[in-house]
Amino acid sequence: MEYLYLNLLVLPFVWMCFLGITFFFRIKLTENFLSESVKWISLIMSSLSLSLVITVIINRSQHIFFDYPAWITIGEYLFQSRFVVDILGSTYALLTSLLIGIIFRFSRNYLHKEEGYFRFIFLLSTLMFGLMIICFARTLDLIFVGWELVGTTSVLLIGYFYIQVQPVRHSLKAVVSYRLCDMGILAAGAWAHHYMHTTDFYELHELLSSPHLHDSGHGGTLALAFVGFFVIWGALAKSAQLPFSSWLPAAMEGPTPSSAIFYGALSIHLGPFLLLRFYDYFTHFPLLLWIIGIIGFTSAIYASAVGRTRSDTKTMLAYATISQVGIIWVEISLGFTQFALFHVLTHASLRTWQFLRSASIIQDFVENPVVQQHEIIHRNISFEKYFSEKIRKKIFIHALHGFHLDYLTQKTISFLTWPLRAYFIFEKRWLDLNNGLVKFLFKKR
Amino acid sequence: MLDVHNTLSFPAILTRIRNKLPIQNPLHGFVHNNILMMFEDKEFHDALSVAGQLYRAKSYWDLEQYKIKFHENKISEKDITDGIDQYSLHYHDSACAQKLGLSLKDFYHRLMFSQLAFNDDDVQPEIKDGTLWAQCAEKMSGQALDLSLDKKKYRAKEYWEKYYNESLASTTHPYIINLISSFLDQGQSFWANPYLKSGFWTYFCEDLEIVRKFGSDWQKNLGKKLDFFKGYSTEQIIESELTRMNIPREAWEDFILDLLFDLKGWSGMVNKLEVEPWQATVKAPNIKLVDFIAALLLIESSLDEYHALNHSTDLAMIYGREEITTLRSFQLTLALYQITNDFKLPHSWMNKLESGEIVTIVKNIESAEREHVIRLWHEAFENHFYREALSAIVSHDRGQLDVSNTVAQILFCIDDREESIRRHVEEINPALKTFGVVGFFGLDMKFSSIKHKRLIAQCPPVIEANRIVREVAKDSVNAQRFLKINSFIGGSDLSLYYMSRTLFRGFFSTIILGLLSIVPMFLQVFFPKQNKSFKLKVSQLISPVPATEMDIDQIQEGQGYTKLEMTKIVESILSMCGLKTEFSKLVLLMGHGSSSTNNPFKQAYGCGACGGNAGISNSRVFAKMANDPEVRVHLKDVGIFIPKETYFASGFHDTCTDEMHFFDLELMPSEYVEEFNRIKIDLNKACMLNAFERCQRFSSPEAKESPEKAIIHVRERAEDLAQPRPEYGHSNNALAVVGLRHMTKGLFLNRRSFLLTYDWKIDPEGEILKQVILGGIPVAVNINMDYYFSCVDNDHYGCGSKLPLNLTSLLGVMTGSSSDLRIGLARQMVEIHEPIRNMTIVEAPLERVKKIFDNHGRLKNILYNHWMRLCVFDPESNTWYLFKEHEFQKFEVEKLAIKYFKTSKERVIKSVTEDDFSEIG
Repeated sequence: MEYLYLNLLVLPFVWMCFLGITFFFRIKLTENFLSESVKWISLIMSSLSLSLVITVIINRSQHIFFDYPAWITIGEYLFQSRFVVDILGSTYALLTSLLIGIIFRFSRNYLHKEEGYFRFIFLLSTLMFGLMIICFARTLDLIFVGWELVGTTSVLLIGYFYIQVQPVRHSLKAVVSYRLCDMGILAAGAWAHHYMHTTDFYELHELLSSPHLHDSGHGGTLALAFVGFFVIWGALAKSAQLPFSSWLPAAMEGPTPSSAIFYGALSIHLGPFLLLRFYDYFTHFPLLLWIIGIIGFTSAIYASAVGRTRSDTKTMLAYATISQVGIIWVEISLGFTQFALFHVLTHASLRTWQFLRSASIIQDFVENPVVQQHEIIHRNISFEKYFSEKIRKKIFIHALHGFHLDYLTQKTISFLTWPLRAYFIFEKRWLDLNNGLVKFLFKKR
Repeated sequence: MLDVHNTLSFPAILTRIRNKLPIQNPLHGFVHNNILMMFEDKEFHDALSVAGQLYRAKSYWDLEQYKIKFHENKISEKDITDGIDQYSLHYHDSACAQKLGLSLKDFYHRLMFSQLAFNDDDVQPEIKDGTLWAQCAEKMSGQALDLSLDKKKYRAKEYWEKYYNESLASTTHPYIINLISSFLDQGQSFWANPYLKSGFWTYFCEDLEIVRKFGSDWQKNLGKKLDFFKGYSTEQIIESELTRMNIPREAWEDFILDLLFDLKGWSGMVNKLEVEPWQATVKAPNIKLVDFIAALLLIESSLDEYHALNHSTDLAMIYGREEITTLRSFQLTLALYQITNDFKLPHSWMNKLESGEIVTIVKNIESAEREHVIRLWHEAFENHFYREALSAIVSHDRGQLDVSNTVAQILFCIDDREESIRRHVEEINPALKTFGVVGFFGLDMKFSSIKHKRLIAQCPPVIEANRIVREVAKDSVNAQRFLKINSFIGGSDLSLYYMSRTLFRGFFSTIILGLLSIVPMFLQVFFPKQNKSFKLKVSQLISPVPATEMDIDQIQEGQGYTKLEMTKIVESILSMCGLKTEFSKLVLLMGHGSSSTNNPFKQAYGCGACGGNAGISNSRVFAKMANDPEVRVHLKDVGIFIPKETYFASGFHDTCTDEMHFFDLELMPSEYVEEFNRIKIDLNKACMLNAFERCQRFSSPEAKESPEKAIIHVRERAEDLAQPRPEYGHSNNALAVVGLRHMTKGLFLNRRSFLLTYDWKIDPEGEILKQVILGGIPVAVNINMDYYFSCVDNDHYGCGSKLPLNLTSLLGVMTGSSSDLRIGLARQMVEIHEPIRNMTIVEAPLERVKKIFDNHGRLKNILYNHWMRLCVFDPESNTWYLFKEHEFQKFEVEKLAIKYFKTSKERVIKSVTEDDFSEIG
């Protein structure tokens, strides 16, 4: 089993490094070589992860730990290399290798003759490595490494067409959201290190369950709860839950397969994945479960209301994805963890499929015998019908503008940053004053 | 001209504006059009520079691309002189050249190879010749030249962009796009826009009532403006707002056009849905262009006010500003130095002239450089192709027409993609004769298939489709079942589409569909072809398609045809082919279309003559007409004798998969079946070779190996979900040959030519020629121009890369999450195209051709304004004429040595990219 999961980690790492080195030395790899290689790699990865899942199921093992010597030691701080193989991680690894395999195959023709083909493959390989780390990591520190790799590749793929302005602007939007929430994970790690001297999920759980918790000098319960709070915060942006929802619809700027794999399938479900990893921990704090549930619920309602007014394929899918992920959050908060994992799997594959087929929508409608000309398509509207027409129109307009989320965010940020702005104004005045003084003196001479 | 504008009423201005907006249909009804059709009354180059400003596009390739061709010897020295000859016929202002002491042609030639950079401040030239520099400096000391663009700028947009880096794309555009895409939506969103009935303006106002509370400051401005204008009509709003902005009436048209062209796709679509609501995918919403203009205008002016306040700028200064660049004496010296050097002038040339005169010369050369250089290169590039094409066709040995021993006559479409398959068919079996007729077979019908009740116009857009023809099942019981199952599947497809995107229903459908979707995804991505045949089998099992026939007889007005009308249609098509008496036993009618998956541009690959649809129904209807005994009796009266034993079979050629299908075979007399099967084997061989030829342009190595592998490859392409290039469509089309097949038979034209059959001998009046030319040439020019523009500037005339496209409102595509509605063709469709205007070569007496072109408005326009070139071979006097500067001139073509190959296959294997034309057989 160790052999299996280690290979899953090492293979994408080696491949990623290989690509990076060739790129560094300006060695041009042909399109054919790249696509052949990734075909084999994804085939190997899929079979490895499949056998891993099967082994885990056959052994009926909850989880198996693998500890290695610490990676970095600074004073008391240890960057521990601890891994775990369990059903959650190995299933997600299987999903990753299968879907990335499909995307690799898809891009072979889709991105054929494209200048950025190498870049695309490199970024997807990096994504694969990042996800594998997240799947098998047992500490928050390790997860953070994978988390960053996934975030960076995601941003770079939004800005795939970096010649144009809009993709770059929207990738910036994603960066800001990601950064804000990465602080959450970082803070959770730091907090846990400070109070409990470990970020290992299982150790955290054990510490919390042990009756001697309060005697051992680990800080109060509230302090411990904050780790969970930060973890939730950290999970917000990746799964585009409120209030970090507006970057996702704007992120549909890259080539379709990259949108499919990131925002339909793998990156977007990292939020639920992290929550599932920490589920045992959360059970000690019902309040945190409530928070998860409320965030998921409001996001689901919000996204489905906005999504149903959208008329373009990709943002529509983006909102649909947010609302389903919101439901998954609710499932987790209610304790249906197995079901949530199942929902992640089905949802990821459905959305990938819908993204990949997104260019067929017009043909689908026109060739559908039910769709007639000169007759508005009948849709079974659901909750809208309970409102009067006037209110329905109002809700429609609010929903059309995403319930002014961007505006509210902007207001909040400008409210929060007023000291900074005041400082900048002060600094500018001060510099102007100095300049004036210098000029004045200079002239005199 | 100004006076005319001054007195124009607003509705008149609006009409002028409408005529300049993009004319593209919603994507489901895409037809190839000359994007600049409304500019055809101007000379080609002039039109391109006017439209180029409007579309903010460049209208030719980059200069570098032409220069590469020059270095590759694809443009020779002779082509350049020919190009200059051609160009100077129309642009013959030689004042500047005379001052330099050069002839006009010499001037142009030197201009083409000069490298002038007048505005460069920073660049210090490598001064090779100190005395010359000193001389220039002396001449130019104290001089200055103002280069101003002649138009005043009324829009503040560029100003904000230039000085404050504020672009509309980040402020107002997302807002407008959000509004308009939701309003125009045809059914993609789950929640239909509730304002569809009350109209766009109400929607806009009520939307703003809410948005102003949560929006940025310019939206608050906008809200105040709307309060002020409450009760005004949108027309009044536009007029008073423009007056308030101090924009003179004569500049209104340009101002509004510029405003609309910021979002040209959406504006064009609004206009289209208002003027031709039947083009809508489902149902056109209640929207007027005026409302849209008013909204855009108010948004813009409130944004301007907001910016002006923010940056403490006076708006009055910005509206109507002129931007002038001044060349100071150093730059003028540099210019003079460059001119003297690059034009290889003797240093003494400037001695005779006053400094002021020289400044004028610099100014003229500056504008000449901007205007002429690229055009001259383009003309030269085109001339190279024309010269090769003409010499190939002129020197082609026309064998005797042999009428004997014909096994079957096959009518293909005129399409350039059918050129190769015709060649292969004739090579494989010389007893098969091919003809090129318009693929809609002269039928002006709207067709509804048994599966879809939707009426689809199966004719080119210039012809009004006013007949309805339906496909009906022979056996009504089966048909009922088929319909029921089909509408059930359709209904559940639709509700699954909506359901999977909502909340609670989305939950259930994700759980269920999610598991199911992984299987088809896997199959479709990894095994596209097997997946297709599997799906076909399943659907055949669930709901077998019933046997059908075409209901063509007239039942009531507007539905079906009378026997006399049928006779007329059949007569015209057969006489176009020159078929009067010599019918073989089998006549095959090959419509064509193209299959592809996951492709929003599917219509662009279809049969241009059938309005982008597949030509199956047309060939079936036509076959039924031609087989009708009563029609044949009528045909005898007009001199067409179809023998009793002749059978017309309808067929279909898929230009993407290179498959041929035949229909209504059960009606064929049984003694023909054997013969027919033999022909089918030949046709299949031809298809394989055709696929092989096409595969040379694709870059998959295994497909280039053999015809057997090629045909497998092209079939996979059609079913591949990820394939942005199922086929290359009309790429590289540049020719149209009207005449009997012997003009081009045995000539390898590299799929670059439309082939229209016409027999001048049986048509003394020129009536048939008129039908042939009117039916075929406008379509060919439209296709040619569509490819031309999408190719030269894919970002502005075309729709950019296919990869990030995002289907919107069931109408068109956006790039990324929100952008203008894109027009034109995708980059992947035109990447191998060479932008060359269509050259039409007609074999007919000169007078007939002249008469047709002179008497048809559009054809005259496009010919006289050089949107196409025309060449006529008069078989009576055996002379060639070329249309040059409003008259036909005799010309002698130099005969180039053309390579000879035994078969097309050999040609394909041996020289892939070298020349376009070669002799075969």
